[in-house]
Amino acid sequence: MYMTQQSMLLCAVFVPVVGAFFLPIAGRISLKFRNLFALGLVLASFIFSMSLLPVALSGKSILIARQMGMGINLIFLADGLAVFMACVSSLISAIIILYSFGYISHYDNQNEYYSMVVLFLGSMMGLVFSANLILLYIFWEITAITSWRLIGFFREKEHVLRADKAFLVTFFGAVVMLIGFISIYQTTGTFDLTPGAISNIAVLLILAGILSKSATLPFHTWLPDAGVAPSPVTALLHAAILVKIGVYVFARIFIATFTVSAFWHTAVPIIAVVSAIVSGGAALVETDLKRLIAYSTISQIGFIFFGLAVGNTMAVAGGLLYILMHGFAKAGLFLCAGIIEQNTKIRDITKLGGLITTMPVTAMAFLLCSFSVMGIPPFGGFFSKYMVFSGAISSGQLWTSAAFLIAAVLTILYLFRVFNLVFLGEPKTSRAKEGSFIMVASVAILTALSLLGGIFINYPFNFVQTIVSNLSGIIR
Amino acid sequence: MTDKILLLPIIIPLVSGAMVLLFSNRFRRAIEMISLLAASLSLLVSIRLFKENLSFSLPWLGQGLEFSLKLYHFSWFILLAIASFGFLIILYSILFMRNKAYLNQFYSYFLLTISFASGAVLADNLLIMLFFWEGLLLTLFGMIAIGNKNAFKTAIKAFIIVGITDLCMMAGIILTGHLAGTLAISKISLSLNGLGALAFIFLMIGAISKAGSMPFHTWIPDAAIDAPLPFMALVPAAFEKLLGIYFLTRISLDMFQLSPGSWVSVMLMAIGAITIVLAVMMALIQKDYKRLLSYHAISQVGYMILGIGTAVPVGIVGGLFHMINNALYKSGLFLSGGCVEKQTGSTDLRELGGIGTRMPVTFICFIITAVSISGVPPFNGFFSKELVYDGALERGWIFYAAALIGSFFTAASFLKLGHAAFLGKISEKNKGVKEAPFLMLAPMIVVTLLCVIFGLYNQLPLRHLIQPVLGGIRMEGHDFSGFPGNMKLVLATVAVLIAALLNHIWGVKTKGSGLKAVDHIHHAPILSGIYDRAEKRYFDPYDMGLKIADLAAKIAFRCDRAVDWLYDGLAVKVTFAFTRQIRKAHTGSYSAYLAWSLIGAILVAVFLIYST
Repeated sequence: MYMTQQSMLLCAVFVPVVGAFFLPIAGRISLKFRNLFALGLVLASFIFSMSLLPVALSGKSILIARQMGMGINLIFLADGLAVFMACVSSLISAIIILYSFGYISHYDNQNEYYSMVVLFLGSMMGLVFSANLILLYIFWEITAITSWRLIGFFREKEHVLRADKAFLVTFFGAVVMLIGFISIYQTTGTFDLTPGAISNIAVLLILAGILSKSATLPFHTWLPDAGVAPSPVTALLHAAILVKIGVYVFARIFIATFTVSAFWHTAVPIIAVVSAIVSGGAALVETDLKRLIAYSTISQIGFIFFGLAVGNTMAVAGGLLYILMHGFAKAGLFLCAGIIEQNTKIRDITKLGGLITTMPVTAMAFLLCSFSVMGIPPFGGFFSKYMVFSGAISSGQLWTSAAFLIAAVLTILYLFRVFNLVFLGEPKTSRAKEGSFIMVASVAILTALSLLGGIFINYPFNFVQTIVSNLSGIIR
Repeated sequence: MTDKILLLPIIIPLVSGAMVLLFSNRFRRAIEMISLLAASLSLLVSIRLFKENLSFSLPWLGQGLEFSLKLYHFSWFILLAIASFGFLIILYSILFMRNKAYLNQFYSYFLLTISFASGAVLADNLLIMLFFWEGLLLTLFGMIAIGNKNAFKTAIKAFIIVGITDLCMMAGIILTGHLAGTLAISKISLSLNGLGALAFIFLMIGAISKAGSMPFHTWIPDAAIDAPLPFMALVPAAFEKLLGIYFLTRISLDMFQLSPGSWVSVMLMAIGAITIVLAVMMALIQKDYKRLLSYHAISQVGYMILGIGTAVPVGIVGGLFHMINNALYKSGLFLSGGCVEKQTGSTDLRELGGIGTRMPVTFICFIITAVSISGVPPFNGFFSKELVYDGALERGWIFYAAALIGSFFTAASFLKLGHAAFLGKISEKNKGVKEAPFLMLAPMIVVTLLCVIFGLYNQLPLRHLIQPVLGGIRMEGHDFSGFPGNMKLVLATVAVLIAALLNHIWGVKTKGSGLKAVDHIHHAPILSGIYDRAEKRYFDPYDMGLKIADLAAKIAFRCDRAVDWLYDGLAVKVTFAFTRQIRKAHTGSYSAYLAWSLIGAILVAVFLIYST
């Protein structure tokens, strides 16, 4: 069957979006069928995104545009940046769904789980390919609603309150951002993403939305609280979808489309570094395993913002690469945390210990993913960290770079603290067994991807280079 | 010969290291054979590459980031040394590690260490070098972690210390690249002022930390107890010194022009002098064979840093010569410790004693390596130390004095070690001890012989390996081989050695045993208090650093909670207060509602009128 590239783009978005609604029906047929169907939808989205890769790598882009009323046009654009993000998100989501087969089989409401997760991913795909601000906003809010449902998945009172908090904070940010979009409309007369300069007020408003979605200081505290969600959901939130929306939209709006005043190239790194250090420090104190990893995400997101905001070629490329490498490693860490949580029923790391003897694979995967987050070669995290720093220093960000060095030190400290408390020492719990095969396998896949991403660094590196060089008209 | 051959020293151990990991421990012979084969192949390649000038470059990441390797007169002998030590210690490990667990991991990390170390030495691009250099962190972690049951914690300590200094190194490399506009090592030439000095200090931290200098040393004595012994002989004794000092020399001589007048030079010498004295003082009171040696591994690096820090030719040559000498006698000493451990089952000096006659070969090797490290003529350590003394004296008597004090305590602690381990009364348990097997003796004998050769024929290493590194111009026509020119310094050295011997004899006579020979120093007033605190780790910079980090983290956590209160506390309170007020307006009275609606309608009308 011959498909045009336009229809591939639409399939990448709408196969999961529409398919999500059929999952509850599939659940009536057979649970196994439903599970595979969900995986199939996400994999299909991944494959369709991959099929756009050759075009994106050649520096061209694919555009679908339908004019509608009031400036709300249906415009989908697949350029390098969008395809990159789509591939990363759908790949990690697919692995997380695979893991869910093992994890979620113990709980009720599985139909809801799978359809929400697939819809979540679908709206992410819609968001990355959107080239109209209102369209982007709509997908943005669908992710907010699905994540609200998923965070409160276990339906305990406290969990629902936490889900509400996450929703309210991100919704508040999104509305502020919407006002920013309208102010752009007032100056440019269109919601379509067209290059031009935008006012500082618009930047500030949009930034509030982005920071709240990407859980950056001072809008970050919903993310640790969202740790009550099922582990695969937290992995999705942290590694593949939710917090990556903010950084993606940052890249899309402030780097790829509009020009902003030089002030923001100084201000955003400062916000990022404060966020990275405060959350890195909090991670060193926190004792709840999942909250701790959440703080780690906030800290690492700071590095991504740093790279993107500094704005020179090397740093932006590093920031994008960071999205990829952090995605693999952080998903791996959360899925390990899920195995630990499910098999010991404990999340307080001070009450755990000695698990390396009974969970050797999980322990190794946790350690190796930690190495990648710390940025140790040959893991992928090394290159992304190096590039961010290198780009930042060559554009004169000496003091912020020095402060980020502290954040990098904290990263090493808190990750080893977790590893030490959870896996080493004397066992404090009854004999916990290793996770099921499929769960351990998904963790191993993510670990392997972290390693391969570093060894074969030239492929992702060249990809982000191509993306950035096509953006370079806008970059300073 | 194609220049692709430069990849071999990296690829051979890399591939075999990965291969070994696939075998389970049941295939012990296969693991050993592959490792030995890979190590001997690497050795052959490095011998073949000796005295070749080659460079190799492969387009890699664009943006001037090329996978470029370069072999020249400095990397020749470092590469050869890496391959030789790798080969000898693998040979030794075959018997030593035979009944230990995690055999596949041990050999795999071992081979990967050889691969990464070769890569770091060959790299001609700072990013490539950093890649291999930091990669060593993983194998370091792995090799320590497979030791005894405390080993994981020690591995974490080592990882954190070295990991943080590697971050400094990364910062230094990025700064250097930014200032020089290139990452190609052979093209970098920077001056030592402003940002250049900052870049140098960052790089220097990376280099001296790798070498094991103070204050980045505290994992080494812990690893000596917890990690497998061949690791100690390979990494802290040999590889880390080779790499750290190699890189320190490169940044001091090639990338930055370190001159004798600069404050950086004084700083380096101070670090060196302090490291020499403090570490050797700690070595003196140790009661464990391996732990005692590990403090010497730290102390000796002080001589190298002091030598290079002098920035005068005689000091630099001395520092480099000392690097290679130290690698020889220190790994020899660790290997002798391994023989003792293997044959007696212990390295605790309180349980040893009197085994010298039962393990004569080990004892002789120990004696030769111990007199080498103590700087007794005509062994190799004597010649390199004399050169360092000469350089230090040229820069200030205080540095020379520190080095000389270091010598006294080095000699004293080795007299104690040898006396306590090999002489004296033998314990009941050790009556049946036999000499170690030949396979373990052979590597030890080889390095011991090299200690003798590098001493008696010091022209060989000095003229062919070390002096070319500085180049003809910098050497100013000097030749430092042969017997030291300054007889006063030699006499001072001999006097110090004799003092150490007299001190030992007196100590034995008063306290009654070799082990207690230095107790009068250990328990001297003032010193004993400091020693007590040091033994309780009050002075461990690692622990202090962790405490500071903990404090900072607590503050950060409070900040985070304060922000959270804005949402969970303040926002909720404001919302409820607001809705309470609004609720008051909802009285249920139709007239009031009508009035609200009317006001609203008027406002809309006004807005519409004025907006058009």
